[in-house]
Amino acid sequence: MTRTRQAYIVLTAAALALCYASTLRGMFEQWSIDEDMSHGFVVPIVVLWIVWRERERWQSLPAKPSWWGLALLAAGAGMQILAVFGGGLFAASVAFLVSVAGAVLYLGGFVYLRAWTFPFLLALFMLPKLAIVYSQVTFPLQIIASRIAATMLGAVGVAVIREGNILDVAGHRVSVQEACNGIRYLLSLGFIAVVYAYLADSKPWMRLALLAVVAPIAIFANALRVAVSGLVPALDAGTPHAVAGYIVFVLCVAILILMRGLFHTVYTRYHA
Amino acid sequence: MGTRQGASIKKLGLVLGCTLCLHAQTPVVLGTAGTFGVLAASTVTNTGPSVISGNLGVSPGLAVTGFPPGSVTGTIYTGVGSLAGTAQNDLTTAYLNAQGRSCPVLNLPGDIGGMTLLPGVYCNSSTSLGITGTVTLNGNGDPNAVFIFQIGTALTTASNSNVHLIGGAQASNVFWQVGSSATVGTASVFNGIILAQASITLTTGAVFNGRALARTGAVTLDSNLGTNPDTAPPASVPAPPTLILVVAGLAIATLYLKREQLLARFRRT
Repeated sequence: MTRTRQAYIVLTAAALALCYASTLRGMFEQWSIDEDMSHGFVVPIVVLWIVWRERERWQSLPAKPSWWGLALLAAGAGMQILAVFGGGLFAASVAFLVSVAGAVLYLGGFVYLRAWTFPFLLALFMLPKLAIVYSQVTFPLQIIASRIAATMLGAVGVAVIREGNILDVAGHRVSVQEACNGIRYLLSLGFIAVVYAYLADSKPWMRLALLAVVAPIAIFANALRVAVSGLVPALDAGTPHAVAGYIVFVLCVAILILMRGLFHTVYTRYHA
Repeated sequence: MGTRQGASIKKLGLVLGCTLCLHAQTPVVLGTAGTFGVLAASTVTNTGPSVISGNLGVSPGLAVTGFPPGSVTGTIYTGVGSLAGTAQNDLTTAYLNAQGRSCPVLNLPGDIGGMTLLPGVYCNSSTSLGITGTVTLNGNGDPNAVFIFQIGTALTTASNSNVHLIGGAQASNVFWQVGSSATVGTASVFNGIILAQASITLTTGAVFNGRALARTGAVTLDSNLGTNPDTAPPASVPAPPTLILVVAGLAIATLYLKREQLLARFRRT
């Protein structure tokens, strides 16, 4: 790589950082204050690590700068302007990713963009919550978690009264609030599933397959956590509650690993 | 774009204005009506497995149908001579009290979906009030924050709509004074106490954290979950933050993938 080219890359990165400084600050703030989104700190680190890990592959690719990159950069700038006029942080964050993709396309061409498709898709996990979607999903998830937890308790012979998102287990009441609706398990497990599939398997379909099983695992695991909190009052607050949450999540990761093994076995046998 | 901006500015102005001019309100005193989850004047009709917290009453009417399959955690009272009769009198007092609270100059639009409102008294510019999507009531950190909505005629919430409480706002301190009838949409989530002049209809699957109190008409239920807004808040069971979950999960996945190398190293040492 020539020095001129290196200078172009550094200048482009600096210009992007400058143009999107307020957006990046907003994303950092949300990761800091919103416990549903705090995994955002890890996402760029993992994305950059994957890019670095794949360096031998993409460094051997011939750079074929494309003018289409400018079109993407313009689209990103347009989105950013809309975001400033009321589109919000989500639109601004998408604009940032579009602009980064545009810069890659402009400097490296489609071969580079293709080589970095997976890191780009993984970066979607760091986008802030889209309020319209989040508010539509939150309450149904709360009700689903409450319903499944009540069914679980009923199945093991524990008398439980469910009133909406509140479970009453022999006078001990627990409420499935927004932060208990399973979205944290869903987002965390989704990210881990994709990264684990990437590390364990070269087949891109495995990432989609594992991503597909994340939703049922996360929803059932969260309901199990709620059910346990309802059954054992000591586990509904403080350190015991947090520990129970981690243990259930470790179980989720174990199930994910098992599922990958299962998919791999089925695939190998089918092709044998 | 211009219209949307205009709407946003209007909403911002409303919120800011309310912050400046709304005085702290005291809750509307419900008296014995506050022990009822559902109170009607003519009939209470239920379909499906509704669950109602608190008492259920009809006065001066006597007809209560659909229990079972519906269930009530309290007692069913009917007739003027019962507790329901006393509750109806108390409801009238409460209704007039809510109606009589002075409303600031600012009015709500015909539909408050998508808005975030601070504590205070609200009256709407059109005669009826709709809720499409989510309306957020922000208690601003005060668990005693009171919201009073004075609605000229009907209150209608759309399917899957949501009255969302944040910042310590409690359903027991949210009062919806409805000039005619209230309809809570299918599968929606509603927080607050409805004081309706005429009837109240909770359509299929609506989750209702509050009280449905109708002065002159019926209350109609369909597979609803009505919870008691006065009960002490139950324990909330939040999941751990995603940062720790992701770091822990990645660590476990990495350890699993590197298990053979780690075991080999362990054996060597």
